[in-house]
Amino acid sequence: MTETIHRRRIEVLADEPLIPAIVALAAEAGIVHYTLLPTAGGAGAHGRWRDDQLSGATAKVMLLAITSQDHAAAFIDRLAPLLESHHLLLMCSDVEVVRGRKFD
Amino acid sequence: MAVDALLQPVVLFFLLGALAALARSDLAIPEAVAKGISLYLMMSIGLRGGGEVAESGFTHDMLLAGGAGLALSFLLPLPAFWLLRTLGKLDRTNAAAVAAHYGSVSVVTFATGSEILRQAGMAPAGFMVGVLAVMETPAIISGLLLARTAGKDSLAPRGGLLHETFLNGSVILLLGSFLIGLIDGKEGLKAVAPMFDVPFRGMLCIFLLDMGLIAARRLMDRRALTLRTVLLALALPVMNGSFGVVLGTALGLDPGSAAALGILAGSASYIAVPAVMRLALPAADPGLYLGMSLAVTFPFNLTLGIAFYGWLAALLAS
Repeated sequence: MTETIHRRRIEVLADEPLIPAIVALAAEAGIVHYTLLPTAGGAGAHGRWRDDQLSGATAKVMLLAITSQDHAAAFIDRLAPLLESHHLLLMCSDVEVVRGRKFD
Repeated sequence: MAVDALLQPVVLFFLLGALAALARSDLAIPEAVAKGISLYLMMSIGLRGGGEVAESGFTHDMLLAGGAGLALSFLLPLPAFWLLRTLGKLDRTNAAAVAAHYGSVSVVTFATGSEILRQAGMAPAGFMVGVLAVMETPAIISGLLLARTAGKDSLAPRGGLLHETFLNGSVILLLGSFLIGLIDGKEGLKAVAPMFDVPFRGMLCIFLLDMGLIAARRLMDRRALTLRTVLLALALPVMNGSFGVVLGTALGLDPGSAAALGILAGSASYIAVPAVMRLALPAADPGLYLGMSLAVTFPFNLTLGIAFYGWLAALLAS
């Protein structure tokens, strides 16, 4: 049977202009592998939004990373104070992965 | 001129897009296509402006218009900020973010205004494209100074903000295309005219159809807008645009260029500035500044403002 390892899955939904800074914050916390996913639109506490490549100011991008418990905790500590002011969504969950060394 | 301006295909396509969105039609221009056309428009505007300056040479008027544009972009956010704080009842951060938008410029409003002025026999001088590029960023600095909190609670490092402010894509593309037009001149540009000159108005029609859809849909999602902010989004372009026309005329610019300076002063950014403000002033509400600039001021300028600035410039010149 294939061995699986427990890791933390981090998802951050943020406006596109903020993504480079969030990626830098993740790198500070030791998370250097990630995926950026475009989104089509949605509705939240601040109203509806759509993919908007014209200004890109309110186009939302999802950052997805699978990482170790320690790196995830360090990233959450750095990002948590900014969640309210920057209108960010942060989600964390436990996942099982194959080849766990790829997600340290 | 007002009726002629309203009946231009570019304006009618904008209205078609707005009506389609208000009727909740599923009409949509793919985002990548709209983005591509916006880049095309900036390249075309830059090349044509540079080509015209190559032909006319550097003039006294060009320096004056450039200086006026720079001063307007730096200073227009100040009265706008005061009005937004007192009449608009906005907090300091939101007022500063919105004020920056009204000091900066809208490339598409300028492109449409130039076409309408050209049709009316008041073509602005080619160097006004350079003024357009000059006016993109100083207002951002004024807005950040007015907010006083830039970067303090922000994710953005200072270097990142400066990079975003001065090296944003629209400024690079406009200035770069302007320089290429300047180097190659009108003769040199003939080779690319079938791509960048002839289809320009048609491409502008497609882009404005999309802008109509975006503006109307944003107006329908107007959670952040109040009657006060909507009225200010109508008053600020008239105030700033009139000042631009008067200043241009006082500096001795031809009526077309004075009207173009009015169009630039009266327009509000919705491409370059929102992205910087989202990074620098995250506490400011993007629904407010994009709602005001894109859903109210842009349609106003396109349907009435451009014609008004043209009329005022012609009146002052006579």
